[in-house]
Amino acid sequence: MKETLKRKVKSEIKERLEPHSYDLREEIDEKGNIQLWLKLHNRKDILHIAQLVRDFGGRCVIITAYKKDDHHVLVYHLDIDGMLLNVEVELFDNKVDSITPVLDSANWTEREFKEMFGIELVGHPNPKRLFLDESIAEGILGEYMPLSQAMNGAATCCMWEKIESERHQNEN
Amino acid sequence: MKTKIPIGPFHIGLEEPIYFKIDLKGETVENVDMINGFVHRGIEYLAMQKNFFQNLILTERVCSLCSNNHPFTYVMAVEKIAGIEVSKRANYLRVVADEVKRIASHMFNLSMLAHLVGHHSLMTQTMEAREIMQDIKESIWGNRMDMSANTLSGVKYDLDEGQIEYILKRLEELEPQVDELMDIYFNNKVVKARTVGVGVLPKADALRLGITGPTARGSGVNNDVRDKAPYAAYDELKPNVCLEEDGDVHARMKVRWREVKDSIRLVRQAITNLPEGSVVTQKRPHIPAGEAVTRSEAPRGELIYYLKTNGSQKPERMRWRVPTYMNWEALRVMIPGNKLTDVAVIFNSIDPCISCTER
Repeated sequence: MKETLKRKVKSEIKERLEPHSYDLREEIDEKGNIQLWLKLHNRKDILHIAQLVRDFGGRCVIITAYKKDDHHVLVYHLDIDGMLLNVEVELFDNKVDSITPVLDSANWTEREFKEMFGIELVGHPNPKRLFLDESIAEGILGEYMPLSQAMNGAATCCMWEKIESERHQNEN
Repeated sequence: MKTKIPIGPFHIGLEEPIYFKIDLKGETVENVDMINGFVHRGIEYLAMQKNFFQNLILTERVCSLCSNNHPFTYVMAVEKIAGIEVSKRANYLRVVADEVKRIASHMFNLSMLAHLVGHHSLMTQTMEAREIMQDIKESIWGNRMDMSANTLSGVKYDLDEGQIEYILKRLEELEPQVDELMDIYFNNKVVKARTVGVGVLPKADALRLGITGPTARGSGVNNDVRDKAPYAAYDELKPNVCLEEDGDVHARMKVRWREVKDSIRLVRQAITNLPEGSVVTQKRPHIPAGEAVTRSEAPRGELIYYLKTNGSQKPERMRWRVPTYMNWEALRVMIPGNKLTDVAVIFNSIDPCISCTER
């Protein structure tokens, strides 16, 4: 059954994407679980893949973002009835089309990479912040932040000295 | 009359910080908005500063109730990249640890349900029965929550005959109590009045939102990883997938109780058929460059780990997603149309874990 599903998905990928615009490899573990690894050369093709997963009744499990040299890479982990389809997309212009209009399950994870890595998201129905407050800049995960600054002096006597000095100022 | 009610971010009725904005019409909830991010700690970034052995310790501390699943799924990803084979015995022992955690986690959530519907004697009775599992954990693994059972290429513990006998004896003690409790939870008037038809999640919405775990199975969606993509010893120790069709709080509660029963069966089956062999195959394995994705079924649902390595001692990128991350959006479907007093009961029915969702 897993083999039939894999064959069907592979033939659909072949039909919906331009030839030579992707690399596909498969991985089978000792329990017979199949994972497909797909690398897209054109970032626009992710919408075709999302539609394919939707047509098979699948869902988006999670999307991983990471920095490679000077650009970001996204790895979409999509599930079709227990079979994982991992899709790698390199973003050379730091922009990506949202797949949430097609797959609702991608809603949170797209908002998360938007705020953590500062990747521009095109066409998300609700592009609000997920975890971080509006006052924190996007792409914060890639920045260097000294501990003393991050904790605002809360771990040392600095904060109390600051409060103490301000208190006396107010009194005057 | 329309009113707006805020609950949280820090509220006595909430176990962890989360901010609900509820629009009420009379007594009925019209709309709910949720704001998260109060316990975001950047653990994902921290994991990339630690080596593969240190991350065993770190991942176990991401969540308390499904603590065993995090290192479990993480080591499977490392083993996949390094091509390490795990002995059959170690795989069986991993299942034992995991199922013990599942029983304890489900029973905790169920006792919270009894607490929220106001049946306090039922809550204490459930917690007392759960204490048997806590005793097992403390006696075998030396700790009531973090069992530290997994390590690279195997497990850190072994069971001798005396220990097996002890677990079997305690499970013998637990099972009749579980049967009795199941009867009360399934048929008690107070429990039924507060759970039947409350917080309904239709099957179509569960599929659309990618809901996982008992929350999905309560709506008739089977995406149990143990069944769909077996790992460790789940190809031999097959779980019975418990499905309910109603999609309400009662259905999710029934799924959890049936899983408790099934997990007791699995633990018994695993420890009475333990294969011979060593529990660890390699002391200090070399981790080459590569990438892998592994999944496991945590008590709350599907847990996934993505790991990318570059041949050094530390992960180049590690990403994980806990079940609550997906199940959260289901609350937007479940809560509207219910009474304000039911919000806490519905919230509890997805078995939320905020600190591991936000990491």
